Amino acid sequence: MKTSKKELIIISVFGILTGIIAVSLVFFGNPANMGFCIACFIRDTVGGLGLHSAGVVQYIRPEIIGLILGSFLLSLVRKEFAPKGGSATITRFILGFFVMVGCLVFLGCPFRMILRLSAGDLNALIGLLGFSCGIGVGVFFLKKGFSLKRSYRQPVTEGVAMPVIAIVLLVLLVTAPAFIIFSEKGPGSMHAPIILSLCAGLLVGGMAQYSRLCMVGGIRDLILFREKKLILGFGAIFVAALIGNLITGKFNLGLTNQFGVVAHFDILWNFLGMLLVGYGCVLLGGCPLRQLILAGEGNSDSAVTVLGLAVGAAFCHNFGIAATAASKSADGVENVGGVSTTGKIAVIIGLIVVTIIAIVNTFQVFKRKSEQ
Amino acid sequence: MADYIVTFFSHFGAIRYKKETEQAKLDSVLMPVPRFLSSSCGTCVRINNVEAGLPLPSHPDEIESAVRLREHETYITIWDGSRFTDICD
Repeated sequence: MKTSKKELIIISVFGILTGIIAVSLVFFGNPANMGFCIACFIRDTVGGLGLHSAGVVQYIRPEIIGLILGSFLLSLVRKEFAPKGGSATITRFILGFFVMVGCLVFLGCPFRMILRLSAGDLNALIGLLGFSCGIGVGVFFLKKGFSLKRSYRQPVTEGVAMPVIAIVLLVLLVTAPAFIIFSEKGPGSMHAPIILSLCAGLLVGGMAQYSRLCMVGGIRDLILFREKKLILGFGAIFVAALIGNLITGKFNLGLTNQFGVVAHFDILWNFLGMLLVGYGCVLLGGCPLRQLILAGEGNSDSAVTVLGLAVGAAFCHNFGIAATAASKSADGVENVGGVSTTGKIAVIIGLIVVTIIAIVNTFQVFKRKSEQ
Repeated sequence: MADYIVTFFSHFGAIRYKKETEQAKLDSVLMPVPRFLSSSCGTCVRINNVEAGLPLPSHPDEIESAVRLREHETYITIWDGSRFTDICD
């Protein structure tokens, strides 16, 4: 059964719109190449709530709120809101945790990897290579029988929990009570107007719900089924953002000249960070963006994964796991940034833990087969 | 003759049922779940030109849904939670 032309057109149009929105958000104030970054925005939100103390990355990002609510509202309209969960809850939390470790060592989620690439950052190409290898390893386990077991229908309260949390975050963002922290310098202080970011999130959340846009799914489906639909969305975002960056003068091709755009040049750890992300995400069944969208649709397994990402982000900044971005001071002194020893150890532990999860949950299937 | 799509809670469930349909000499293919069937992005098995109904899988608990396809992306659900309910046209 071939994907219909209508579906291909829809995902291409949605991808192009998403790319344009991402570049526009940077134009209106978001950090460089960070129109959307699910990992960075969850990290900023966690910081805004005071769960980590990295003063330059604290802000409740309206894009995250919008993505969840956009998916939630469209799924209600389309009668696709379906509370379900109960599939390997803690395992998903742990996978979410280590996916965030990989993201913050690379300095971006798969979505931002594409946006960085579209702005000429060739470190993202290294990341893409690692990401694809990670997906390849995960697919190997999928084919061998990996499963986190089935999910079950759940009460509506489970399904609406994440959308309600998103609304609470929105209230906290708008009212800004004293215990909420907003960065006064650094990437956390850079943001588009709230209403613009929120609308962008709602729109992309709706489009991603409708089209099932997923950065991991694109490569996974290409490997598993030779199915190009999702990767077409991937490609459309890249092309639209590339053109947008060329128009707005944000395109800067190179590997070791990416100063001030939240990137570092350590090839090995850019590769391994995204390998961990691809590996973990394929076992989870979707990239961080997809987890937010599914959480909005009522999937409590994805909601738990988002919580794993959030706790992972807090750990990354409280324990110096997150990489340091390359920067250049006003008098021209260069700091190439990079990954700390703690960050490297965390990625290695992540790869080991994810592999154990993969083997155990593949082995269980074999055990069940032999029992029968 | 009818075409069917069976969706699963896990990718491996789909792989296993695909093998079972092959053993039953049915024309089947693994594919992503079509968007008109679900907003989830799992794996399904499409079985074409079935004359005498679908074989019951060895692990029915892995089936999420099963449908008989009609024209223009419409379908009839044929899975009641434990067995296929369809009678071919």
